[in-house]
Amino acid sequence: MISQIFILSSKGDHLIYKDCILTTGLLVALFCLCLYLLILLQSHKGLHFIHVRQGGLYWVASTKTNPSPFTIIEFLNRLAALTKDYCGSLSEKSVRMNFALIYELLDEMVDFGYIQTTSTDILKNFIQTEAVSSKPFSLFDLSNVGLFGAETQQSKVAPSVAASRPIMSSRGEQNEIFVDVIERLSVVIGSKGVLMKADIQGEIRIKCFLPTCSEMRIGLNEELSIGKSQLKGYSSAVRVDECRFHQAVKLDEFDTFRILKVCPSQGEQTVMQYQLCDELPCAPPFQLFPSVEKDYVNRVLIFLKLRCDLPPKSTALNVSITVPVPKGSTSMSQELSSPDQTAELQPKNKALLWEIPRFPGGAQLSALFKVDVPGLSSASLLEVGPVSMSFELPKQTCTGLQIRFLRLSPTQTGLSQRWVRYVTHSDSYTIRI
Amino acid sequence: MTDSKYFTTTKKGEIFELKAELNSDKKEKKKEAVKKVIASMTVGKDVSALFPDVVNCMQTDNLELKKLVYLYLMNYAKSQPDMAIMAVNTFVKDCEDLNPLIRALAVRTMGCIRVDKITEYLCEPLRKCLKDEDPYVRKTAAVCVAKLHDINAQLVEDQGFLDTLKDLISDSNPMVVANAVAALSEIAESHPNSNLLDLNPQTINKLLTALNECTEWGQIFILDCLASYLPRDDRESQSICERVTPRLSHANSAVVLSAVKVLMKFMEMLPKDLDYYGTLLKKLAPPLVTLLSAEPELQYVALRNINLIVQKRPEILKHEMKVFFVKYNDPIYVKLEKLDIMIRLASQANIAQVLAELKEYATEVDVDFVRKAVRAIGRCAIKVEQSAERCVSTLLDLIQTKVNYVVQEAIVVIKDIFRKYPNKYESVIATLCENLDSLDEPEARAAMIWIVGEYAERIDNADELLESFLEGFHDESTQVQLQLLTAIVKLFLKKPTETQELVQQVLSLATQDSDNPDLRDRGYIYWRLLSTDPVAAKEVVLAEKPLISEETDLIEPTLLEELICHIGTLASVYHKPPSAFVEGSRGVQHKRLPPRAGSGESTESPDVGQSGPSEAPPAVIPSQGDLLGDLLNLDLAPPTATVPSVQPSMQMGAMDLLGGGLDSLVCSSPAMGAGLGAAPAAMPASLGSAPAVGGGLGDLFDLGGGVGMPTGSYVAPKTVWLLAMKAKGLEISGTFARRGGIIQMDLSLTNKAMSVMTDFAIQFNRNSFGLAPAGPLQVLTPLSPNQTIDVSLPLSTSGPVMKMEPLNNLQVAVKNNIDVFYFSCQYPLSLLFVEDGKMDRQVFLATWKDIPNDNEAQFQIKDIHLNSDVASNKLQGSNIFTIAKRTVEGQDMLYQSVKLTNGIWVLAEMRIQTGNPNYTWMCWRRPHVRECVSQNDSPVIS
Repeated sequence: MISQIFILSSKGDHLIYKDCILTTGLLVALFCLCLYLLILLQSHKGLHFIHVRQGGLYWVASTKTNPSPFTIIEFLNRLAALTKDYCGSLSEKSVRMNFALIYELLDEMVDFGYIQTTSTDILKNFIQTEAVSSKPFSLFDLSNVGLFGAETQQSKVAPSVAASRPIMSSRGEQNEIFVDVIERLSVVIGSKGVLMKADIQGEIRIKCFLPTCSEMRIGLNEELSIGKSQLKGYSSAVRVDECRFHQAVKLDEFDTFRILKVCPSQGEQTVMQYQLCDELPCAPPFQLFPSVEKDYVNRVLIFLKLRCDLPPKSTALNVSITVPVPKGSTSMSQELSSPDQTAELQPKNKALLWEIPRFPGGAQLSALFKVDVPGLSSASLLEVGPVSMSFELPKQTCTGLQIRFLRLSPTQTGLSQRWVRYVTHSDSYTIRI
Repeated sequence: MTDSKYFTTTKKGEIFELKAELNSDKKEKKKEAVKKVIASMTVGKDVSALFPDVVNCMQTDNLELKKLVYLYLMNYAKSQPDMAIMAVNTFVKDCEDLNPLIRALAVRTMGCIRVDKITEYLCEPLRKCLKDEDPYVRKTAAVCVAKLHDINAQLVEDQGFLDTLKDLISDSNPMVVANAVAALSEIAESHPNSNLLDLNPQTINKLLTALNECTEWGQIFILDCLASYLPRDDRESQSICERVTPRLSHANSAVVLSAVKVLMKFMEMLPKDLDYYGTLLKKLAPPLVTLLSAEPELQYVALRNINLIVQKRPEILKHEMKVFFVKYNDPIYVKLEKLDIMIRLASQANIAQVLAELKEYATEVDVDFVRKAVRAIGRCAIKVEQSAERCVSTLLDLIQTKVNYVVQEAIVVIKDIFRKYPNKYESVIATLCENLDSLDEPEARAAMIWIVGEYAERIDNADELLESFLEGFHDESTQVQLQLLTAIVKLFLKKPTETQELVQQVLSLATQDSDNPDLRDRGYIYWRLLSTDPVAAKEVVLAEKPLISEETDLIEPTLLEELICHIGTLASVYHKPPSAFVEGSRGVQHKRLPPRAGSGESTESPDVGQSGPSEAPPAVIPSQGDLLGDLLNLDLAPPTATVPSVQPSMQMGAMDLLGGGLDSLVCSSPAMGAGLGAAPAAMPASLGSAPAVGGGLGDLFDLGGGVGMPTGSYVAPKTVWLLAMKAKGLEISGTFARRGGIIQMDLSLTNKAMSVMTDFAIQFNRNSFGLAPAGPLQVLTPLSPNQTIDVSLPLSTSGPVMKMEPLNNLQVAVKNNIDVFYFSCQYPLSLLFVEDGKMDRQVFLATWKDIPNDNEAQFQIKDIHLNSDVASNKLQGSNIFTIAKRTVEGQDMLYQSVKLTNGIWVLAEMRIQTGNPNYTWMCWRRPHVRECVSQNDSPVIS
């Protein structure tokens, strides 16, 4: 199975090195050289390297046999997540500071290349070393924020500062639990505004700081139906095609009451993953009405009208629109409707980028771009290709999945704080022209 | 206080400081010191000098400190084996500790120290820990057995740890079961033939029970182990599938993929008409689709696996085409892989959707991806015939965009479409010709030229078009030059009157002004064809071309089957068998799918191919005699596939054979009118004792006159092997021949008794070259008195081997309804000369020089009136190949090579003096065969 495990800094320094088989010797220098090719799999002298990149660090495993890359990648991801759970945050500094703890973790997680366990419940029985935080914990320090499950630019969410806190810190008892519902939306809209393809990948993640938690009940929408055939009630608003659960989730009340019962272990975990293909329960959040014309001999006029079909109370954040432009475009002038928007031409990517920081539901924005293309031909207009968008929708789920309640039993002594958050990201939102 | 300071101390005398700290009385200080040591170790500094000091810290109650010390030990024990012994006592003591954590820690660490002396001490504690009451200790001990096996396999077997490990499969704790399975699988891999993982329905049941309870990683071990099991029947296979299916909805994609592997493998055994088969197919699709929602790297791994699954069972994902549509932000490697799968899934039902999508992709920014998308449209056309028209029109639309690389790719694929559907879409040629000028890539230019040449009769200005290419002929790439040459020749054959000048021009360009040998040769071939026989040229050049096949890019089926068995592993990502990239013995075992159910084959079917033991003649019952003792041991099992090397056993008999060999050399030549009969077996036959001398023999004698054609190998006339008076009326005479690479024993059976003979069978004793009957003796009709039957018995050389005296002796037993008879005969060694015995000249030269002098022997062959060419031709008929020839002072020297069925090479030099009827042979490669060869060679040449 696994022969060696490394954690490398972004510059290629060894932070952690564990030789599981003890016969391989160090070969990582070569690996570092080819890292810049950013290929998942490398092989050298019969040794195969597999790496993931998280928190600015390379998590590398090497193997001599024919193992499953899935197993190793899953394991490396878990290792990174556990390191984050135990050390508070992922960075070169935190790994350096806690190397003894990480070696101890690795010893319990991998024996002779066989993965033993990655569950915090089991691991906490064995781990002796205490984590060292990189900085004193302060509620006022809001620089390091973010939802657990997603890398988002969304800020000013106070509780997420907890994300950078070690789970087994001895500093005070934190009775907090976070539940995030994160959805990723991919949509293809055809040239006539027809929805051609839509799918949603969603997950429910929890991060638990409760030292002892016997059972938690997460209630989902009662009318949630699963699969294409199964329909609950007359107007089934919430539907998913398929779902997968963490193995610790008990599903005995799921079929009738849509309640997930889980004894969360400390740290971060994905309780449920689900997906929905083809049928969106609501309209896609954005509609684009483009028109592309040849103006002068060497100028293309691109007029974009963008409408946000969200309910009026909600807002989309960090909307960016990328429009491919003909090869050889030199300059661009634009007319935007408000000063907080920006637009620029990126000749290297052959695209123009239009950014809107806030986009309220129901609003409609338009923009006119004049792109100078020397040597424009009629075929060049065809190069103005599919428009792609990226955005995030806080407090929104496209499937309509909601968490009705979050109950801890037996009720915790003292104050336990429960946080539920929702966010939808664009994964790949394409509008063809 | 943070740990980061450990990394920053690089002062001088650091080791001394650490030493002092390690020997401090304060626990806290010791711990800090050990941490510093390990920090230096991680960054690659050598801190082995501190070994004794660190080991001194080992005896502590502080678990954290103990762990750190153990970590250090694992790293440096190998470089300080003597010092490591100091730690043994602590290890042994720790293995008895009350705290299970310490027991497990000690066993785990001891297994990681690869020092022989420590290994010896490990056995006892390990044995105890394997039976420990705490499952955590047991599971650690199970892995430790694998570690120990890696260090010293023999020790593990001797100590009986393997059996204990097998018992752990029935352990009550699933984690222990999983580790035992993992350890056993690893050990079994290095012993491919051992039956370590003795999987039977009971153990399988235990594994399946443990599967539901253990951790996700344990599930992977168990599933991988299950995949190597071969269920007895379809019912068992179904029940396993039913219990594995729930794993498909696991959140860990590695578990999902391992489960998919098990299901894909066992599905092979389920009859296709079974309801459950259909259910299973439906259940497999969603988890595969879900795998695509992971990060791009995992997506890529998943796609490579899906690519295999789709080739094996396209029905699983046939409705899921949409998930393989490309997202704009996919990385390029994911995009290309998705495109490949889209083509594999394309069918008449979804082709419209696929084409619309591909057309979109063809307008994207990424050039590589666009090219692949255009190619994909072509592949669709070739795969789904009904879609060809739509594909062509899509391609035409793309050509209208005038985007340079799109146009070029489109032209390349249109050429392929023409080759698949000739005379169907020629109407588009006009559009293609419009884009002639924009083509700048060799492949596209070559494709366009091919099209113009192929359809020259429909393109009015074909000659002008081709002429325009001809202007820069020497600047073109070879591909284009070759294509241009062919196209112009085609054009000439179609419109000879107008294009004579053009063809002359291209031929002279290709043959005179080019220094590319391929181009020149092709040019000359066309030139000669055209100048000698234009009609023939037309037939050759304008011959109907074979249609291109639609699935040229499929993985070869046997490889696919093996890869299916490796789903989820690196092999499935590389699309290469594990043996291609895993070093050493591990993973070299070739796995295969279980035999297909419901097709009438039983699971034993592989055996049917071999000549079954049932067809072998019934056991021969010998009566008496010393020779018979050996025959009693005749092995009636089917011939083994390998030919054991006979060389060592033969070495000793070499010298004494030499004497007899020389004698027989002189007398066994029929051309000399033999009859001198010195050698026991070479009973001069031509005197007529064999009435059935075949026509082939006569030919051979005729050829002796010097016809310069290579002939078949020499067949000696039949000799009497078994006299009627010794065999209750059965007389057997026979000879050996080599026909078309098959060794045959020609037998004449004569009944000189008064009663009918039936039930013939034949068997050989073990012999020097492993000759054995390749089939039963075919005597169909009963042999009536005074009747003679001629039988040809094919022989194989895969029988058991034993050195005989003389080397070419063969002991035979023949049975009929009366009795069993034994006789021995000798076969000519030329029988064993194989057809591929022609040695490469260089190799011959090198080997020739290496031959030690005492391996040399000389023989004279007398009275042969052939010149060297005829002789070498005749010898070639007997698979004696002349490698080189030279003439020195009126002597012709022929250098020859011969290869025997068992792979032994014989090299020879033959001297022929003109006018002198005597040939001299000399210099043999192998002493033990040379005389036999020599005695046989003379009849071959004469």
